[in-house]
Amino acid sequence: MFRILKKSLKTGTVTGQYPHTQPLVIRTPGAHKKAAPFKSSLTIREVDTGSCNACEMEMNALTNPVYDVERFGIHIAASPRHADALVVTGPVTVNMEHPLKDVYKQTPHPKLVIALGDCAINCGIFKGSYAVTGPVERHIPVDVRIPGCPPRPVDILEALASIRSLPSPSEE
Amino acid sequence: MTDRLSLEQRMQTAFAGVVAAYPRDGVLQYCLDESRLPEVARFLHQKLQGRLALLFAIDCRPRTQKYEIHYLFALSSGHPWVLLTVELGGSARLFTSITPSVHAAQWYEREIRDLFGLIPHGHPDQRRLVRHEHWPQGLHPLQKTFPWDKVMGRQQGEYRFRHIEGEGVFEVPVGPIHAGIIEPGHFRFSVAGEPIMQLEVRHFYKHRGIEKLFEQCTLSGALPLAERVSGDTTIGHSLAYCQAVESLLHLQIPRRARYLRSFLLELERLHNHIGDVGAICNDTAYTLAHAHCSRMKEQLMQLNDRLAGSRFLRGTMAIGGLTHDVPATQQTEVIDTLNRIEKDFAELESIIFANASLTDRLETTGVLTERTAWDHGAVGVVGRASGIDYDVRRDRPFAAYDEVPVNTVLYRYGDVRARLRVRMDEIHESIRLIREIRQHIPQGPIIAAVDYMPQPGEWGLSAVESWRGEVLYFVMAGDDGHIHRCKVRDPSFVNWPAIQWAAVGNIIPDFPLINKSFNLSYAGNDL
Repeated sequence: MFRILKKSLKTGTVTGQYPHTQPLVIRTPGAHKKAAPFKSSLTIREVDTGSCNACEMEMNALTNPVYDVERFGIHIAASPRHADALVVTGPVTVNMEHPLKDVYKQTPHPKLVIALGDCAINCGIFKGSYAVTGPVERHIPVDVRIPGCPPRPVDILEALASIRSLPSPSEE
Repeated sequence: MTDRLSLEQRMQTAFAGVVAAYPRDGVLQYCLDESRLPEVARFLHQKLQGRLALLFAIDCRPRTQKYEIHYLFALSSGHPWVLLTVELGGSARLFTSITPSVHAAQWYEREIRDLFGLIPHGHPDQRRLVRHEHWPQGLHPLQKTFPWDKVMGRQQGEYRFRHIEGEGVFEVPVGPIHAGIIEPGHFRFSVAGEPIMQLEVRHFYKHRGIEKLFEQCTLSGALPLAERVSGDTTIGHSLAYCQAVESLLHLQIPRRARYLRSFLLELERLHNHIGDVGAICNDTAYTLAHAHCSRMKEQLMQLNDRLAGSRFLRGTMAIGGLTHDVPATQQTEVIDTLNRIEKDFAELESIIFANASLTDRLETTGVLTERTAWDHGAVGVVGRASGIDYDVRRDRPFAAYDEVPVNTVLYRYGDVRARLRVRMDEIHESIRLIREIRQHIPQGPIIAAVDYMPQPGEWGLSAVESWRGEVLYFVMAGDDGHIHRCKVRDPSFVNWPAIQWAAVGNIIPDFPLINKSFNLSYAGNDL
């Protein structure tokens, strides 16, 4: 018990100890409007449709004490039925095409779809392969794109913050 | 050399007329007639304790109208690889299955059937593996006549799971999309009450056609693809690919580059192992350890970012060496960080093992017996937790491991705790290795120039001990610097079938824990 307390005291607060960057986020015109209901809380369901698993590792990193995504009211749900947003990673493989569409159907309205990483946006290095059916937007409408191979956790954090902030006048 | 001779002699005595060849350093090859293959394979596996490390086919068209099937056996330490080669000429489509006597061949032979359309005669399981049932019939992507960018149609079809019938027996389907942030794959449990009677793994949802994509690349252009076979094993895969190509190009790697390769490989092992220790604790709802581990993992990932500009150390490997140096100042920074993390982690270890409710959950859970592990040819962390004493770094030294020897970790219980212990001990060992590398690293160039153009049909083979286990690459050169065939084998491919046996007898709520303790890659398995 004392050992645990000592360890926690010695470690101190680590949240926020990461280099900040200016990420590139690509939003569709209506994304802000769609994100409006999720200003104070956003529940995410992550779906991997064929990534190399680096994007998954970075999504997992969001929940560590350093990034601690929950402090921004963002939760990761275990089921699409509890989700406000789908985060999709990887090119859509032929074997994952139907599961992806199923998940999209299962997610209640209103919902956001976020394509995370180059593969989800344009199939990346796997483009054209017989086993890949195309980027996410070929199968379901995508609202936000976060490029990178993989995007850093801080990029994902900033991107999520930026879509939930007030829209710029031009996007109204 | 004596090993080589005695091995050759034993083969000569057992099988009159087989001709040995040494196509590559450390590889003893036998070209066999198809009818003799099963007995030779059985002899290697059962009499000489050879582990089937790799089984793959090559479509030799357009140069020759034939298929080749290669069986790679790893014998005990000090022996070369033994490669058995069988040719299927003309219109022959059947090859004899060795699965009845070498269990580890089962997935490989089903994979060949799916990707090449060659039928393993006598295989007990003729269901599809890689091609899901909705793929149209007659499409075999690795045949040379199959266009790499073909658009496939869909057909109706359903996978037949193994059923257990009886009163009170029911099935629990899980996946392909799971509850956590993990990759897709399907698990089918047959349970009677709580305990699992049978688990069947149905994967290959993430099949992206990587081996076909390799064939569209040049030898040097395929490196980014190798890095993305399994993202968490970026260095493991890119290093294995580089080594296979370097063996093909007869390249000598500068000593400094070899040291730095080991340095980076150990860094990759560290952040993954620390993350896994935390994740195993998390699956027993011990979130304190998870929080500390993910904090340390994050420190290491940020360190990677400062070293290479990539949290996964992407873009560091190159054919012939490395793309950029790790200067002494950065090495010192690494050592400083590791000193802190080692102390930090040791404190956490004592907290973890003082927790009786945690260890109670880990002990005797998900036992993979030594016999089952051996039958599946299990490698890496999973193998070493079940008494399979094999580590590529020690048994077939690559990079700098011949000069900086590794102390292999070995446990025999085969339960979740053993797999946790292997990871914990390897964390300390990796830190020790990095310190040692730092002490002995020589000065000099970090990349060798390529001055050789391989002939079509020449090949290279390499093995690397990634953090998960043995990664194998077989690369065959094609016309004008292109790749004719690249066979990738992630350790997950051999360890996935083994998990089906580790789960039997456990309760379903323990399965996530067992799965986490294996922590296999879906991407590396599905390709």
